[in-house]
Amino acid sequence: MTKTADNVNPHVYEKGSEREITATERDEDVLDEIDEREVFDLIRNINDPEHPLTLEELHVVEEQNVFIDNKDNLVRVYFTPTIPHCSMATLIGLSIRVQLLRALPSRFKVTVEVSEGTHVSEHAVNKQLADKERVAAALENNNLVQIINQCVANS
Amino acid sequence: MEQVWFKSDLAEEIIKNNDIFDQTKSIVTDILSGRLQVTTLVENMGGVLTNKEIDNRERGMRFFTKILSEIPKDFLTEMQIKFVSKFYIDRLKDNHKVIPTVLEGYLYIVDMTNYNVQFSGEYFTVLFREVACQSQVRQDRYNIYLTILKLLERDAEYMKTLGPDFVYGVISAMDGERDPRNLLFLFNFLPNFLEKIPLGHLVEEMFEVISCYYPIDFHPSPNDPAPVARDDLANALSPCLCAIPEFAEHCLLLLIEKLDSSLRVAKIDSLVLLTKSCNTFKAESYVPFLKALWSSLNREISHKSDEVLKLAAHESLSALVAKLSTIANTDQSFENFIKGILISLQTAIAESTTVAQFVQATKVLLTAANASKESCEIITKAMIPAILAFYEFKTAPKLQIASLEFLGDMYELAQHWDLLEQIEKQVNEIPQLCLTAVNERTKEYQVVGFRTLIRVKNALKIDLVVPFVEILTYNIQHSEDDELLGISVETVHAIARKYPELVMEFVVKGKCDVQNLIQDKIALQKRLNLLSSLASIDDFTKIIIEEMLKVITSSNEEASKVIKALSSSLSNSSLYSNDKVAQIESDHGLIDSVLTWLDSEILTAKEPLEHGYSLISNTISSLPTEKQLNILSKHTTKLLEKCSVNEIHFQMLECLYRSIRQNVYNEHFEEILSLALKLALNSDKELVRLKSCYLIAHFLNKAENGQKFELMYELLKNYLSSCNRDDLNICPKLIFLYGWITKALVMRGSYLFQFWLKKIFISISNPECSLQGSDAIKIIMTDFPDCLNTKHHCRTSLLYRQRMFQNFTKMSENVVLTPEAKEAYVLSWAYILEKTPKTILNNEVNKIVPLAIDGLEYDNKDLILVMIDILIHFVQAKNISIAQSLQTILPRIINLTTYVKSMDVRIKSLQCLYEIANSYDTRLLLPYKQDILIDLAPSLDDKKRLVRNMAVKARTRWFLVGSPGENKEA
Repeated sequence: MTKTADNVNPHVYEKGSEREITATERDEDVLDEIDEREVFDLIRNINDPEHPLTLEELHVVEEQNVFIDNKDNLVRVYFTPTIPHCSMATLIGLSIRVQLLRALPSRFKVTVEVSEGTHVSEHAVNKQLADKERVAAALENNNLVQIINQCVANS
Repeated sequence: MEQVWFKSDLAEEIIKNNDIFDQTKSIVTDILSGRLQVTTLVENMGGVLTNKEIDNRERGMRFFTKILSEIPKDFLTEMQIKFVSKFYIDRLKDNHKVIPTVLEGYLYIVDMTNYNVQFSGEYFTVLFREVACQSQVRQDRYNIYLTILKLLERDAEYMKTLGPDFVYGVISAMDGERDPRNLLFLFNFLPNFLEKIPLGHLVEEMFEVISCYYPIDFHPSPNDPAPVARDDLANALSPCLCAIPEFAEHCLLLLIEKLDSSLRVAKIDSLVLLTKSCNTFKAESYVPFLKALWSSLNREISHKSDEVLKLAAHESLSALVAKLSTIANTDQSFENFIKGILISLQTAIAESTTVAQFVQATKVLLTAANASKESCEIITKAMIPAILAFYEFKTAPKLQIASLEFLGDMYELAQHWDLLEQIEKQVNEIPQLCLTAVNERTKEYQVVGFRTLIRVKNALKIDLVVPFVEILTYNIQHSEDDELLGISVETVHAIARKYPELVMEFVVKGKCDVQNLIQDKIALQKRLNLLSSLASIDDFTKIIIEEMLKVITSSNEEASKVIKALSSSLSNSSLYSNDKVAQIESDHGLIDSVLTWLDSEILTAKEPLEHGYSLISNTISSLPTEKQLNILSKHTTKLLEKCSVNEIHFQMLECLYRSIRQNVYNEHFEEILSLALKLALNSDKELVRLKSCYLIAHFLNKAENGQKFELMYELLKNYLSSCNRDDLNICPKLIFLYGWITKALVMRGSYLFQFWLKKIFISISNPECSLQGSDAIKIIMTDFPDCLNTKHHCRTSLLYRQRMFQNFTKMSENVVLTPEAKEAYVLSWAYILEKTPKTILNNEVNKIVPLAIDGLEYDNKDLILVMIDILIHFVQAKNISIAQSLQTILPRIINLTTYVKSMDVRIKSLQCLYEIANSYDTRLLLPYKQDILIDLAPSLDDKKRLVRNMAVKARTRWFLVGSPGENKEA
């Protein structure tokens, strides 16, 4: 039953620091826009399905690969699998998507894609992640939901 | 009629009549009174003891055993016991049905005072030959073990002479024991046995029998009313495995094997065993296994996520290194072991790319270095140069910062083991590296560089002082960052203690130019802070304080800055001891100068002169009683006169009297108290009223028990009863004063406070002044930095908040309130609940939870925050009454998640929702899940980021409720 991980010994990067709370954030009257950093903070602590490490530590998600447009209500996240043939890529993408669905206001349209040229079956993965019905179907599958919930539990 | 036990019919009676068993008490009484001889009794029982029927013999033995258990322990003589013992030993050969009572009976015999331990040899010989221990039931096995234990405690020397046969008997008796309770008993008893009885050639057999239980894998049956826990068994077993040095080889082989197991408990047990074994085994026994041990330890120590395992591995390593260091001088293997550790960890450090990896490796080295002097020497000698090189080689800032901290740690360990002389050469390089770091001019580097320098300050050589001081003085004058400023002042202070002359020359006279203190206005306040901190060092005190006082007495416009700096430094007790402050006062007349300054400023100052007042009160607080009295008598009369002219001068009077000791008293006290009372109620300056209340509270709190206190209390009551209550202006001031009086009394521990609390309570229930009432409660419950502290020599009863809580609870029983007063009432509760220790609240859940829920209804930010906090506390404790009222609580809290006026309320209410999802049973939460997920959606788009963060936390947690993959403790 136990399957050895695709990437047994991944490179581990430093964790970034927590966002510092600024004076304007404590100010009742100032409006804080949702920014890239905030979206990144939502997904950085998702656990990798294979390792007891977060996506941030593996550099699967990085702040510079998060884009947000508050006016048109768009959020776009690119993620980078640790190796090009990673079989977990879809699952990771799905975890990010689920987490954003739960944590972002519903006005946003969320797109999650593999960074260009970092995975062998990039297009297939992107297509799966973009297909609403397939995502919905996947979330009906209890085993899958269990794994995803475990991944996002600490984020 | 003669009783049956005086006749030989007794035998027949025992066989036929069950009731005879109830009469053993009377038989024992007869034996004790001498009417019946034991031998006669046995003779009369003859028929049953030698009966052909097994069951009858068993009854006979049971009857006799019962009598033995009831006879006082010191009654039978040695001869009689010998006779009974012989008889029982003989009975061991009887049918298996008879055996249990024999075993039990012998236990009573062993307990008797005149029992001769010589009888036991024969008992054991027969026992081990005739009775197969493991075929008996649990209680009988226990009796056998207990007999062995009792005899061992009675005479271990004799037990030794029984030789290998006895040991073998014991081994075979317990071989295969399966009952957890018996095992627990055996494990507790075996270390004692093993220490006292030499095993001879049976070492291996004994170890086999014990080690077959290792590692303990045991789950108590769920129906067991008093289950034996696995951990209890495991904790009891490990001392057996390492009870005697002879076990070393077997034990180490075993634990190395189990360390490699994939079972987590096996690993942890083995690590614990290794740690414990270091207490008994000889250091030499470990030598052949060191390689294997280190490779296992290294693996567990570098475990990524399991902290418990890691900690156990650290403890084992520490114990092992400490043990091995005892043979450091005679055997090469210790050094080789440490070098092996060094090599593996140097590799790990060199390869580390994150701080987590680096710290992991360095922690292991610190553990090893902390374990013994010898290891510390080897490790620091090798690692300090290595880390210095590593710093140059690695460019990642976080790693460089971590290296500096590691150097500081190593230095402190070397200091702890008194090794600094041996590694002087290595250590002397550290300050240079600190200098490199602080030259980076970024905050992170500078903070850690200075901090490390403070730790290694004794290694600082004179040639580095000037470069450091350059940077430090620059920082102190130009930095805006509080942390950096603080650490810079601290560093100068540390350097000044080592090199006073240099710092005097460069800092005090040079950069800060103390002689022309106020010439340069730029960054004056920062320079003053540094100087007032340095003034605590004896070499600097005179010159700095003198210059500062010059500024103060010349009434220069910068004087207030000097006062501010002095006030904040002098109140820091880690810088200035009481004696030091007293010395400054007597040498330089600090208080006189400050009073003069205050006097000249007080009428014209635009801002309150708080720093001046607190400087005086802090200085007075440090003085001994007599000096306090002197100063008071010197100034009081004059100040009282001034007060009568302008009440603003009362503030000076107050600061003089604020921090006096409890035994200080002079003839002015009554006059001052009357004045304070008058001002507290009539002055139109708020500050003067506040100061008056302070002083009244201090007087009441500190007055000596007895006459002085009563006098003062009378004065107070008389004054207050004479003043006019109908004046609406006076009412709020009066309630304010009540608050202070109550606070002073309750902190003093006096029951009189109830009288005043009742007055406050009445005002709360009166709609016209209910708000002032709740403010008074707030005063009572809150700590103030410049009032009623131990610093001011006040009495501070530890439990005063509990007392307030209890009294307020009592008063609020059956209270009827108008709706207007209700808010103030709930608010008063909030102030009390906020400060009452949570453990006290736990006893009154049923009263508090409804209050907290009520509190959520009012549009009052402070009130809501306190009440949600209390709810969160109970939720975290999984309180049942909240679980039952979720239906009421949830909608109210959901409402508050969109509370417009305060983001803190929104955050707290979201946190409360998170805690609820995290704490309670899924079946309680599921009915609300869908609604809450919908209700939480708007908060995700809150305008404040901090609210959104908490909303995300709460909402994602609620998503997990009842869904697969939720990780909740049952």
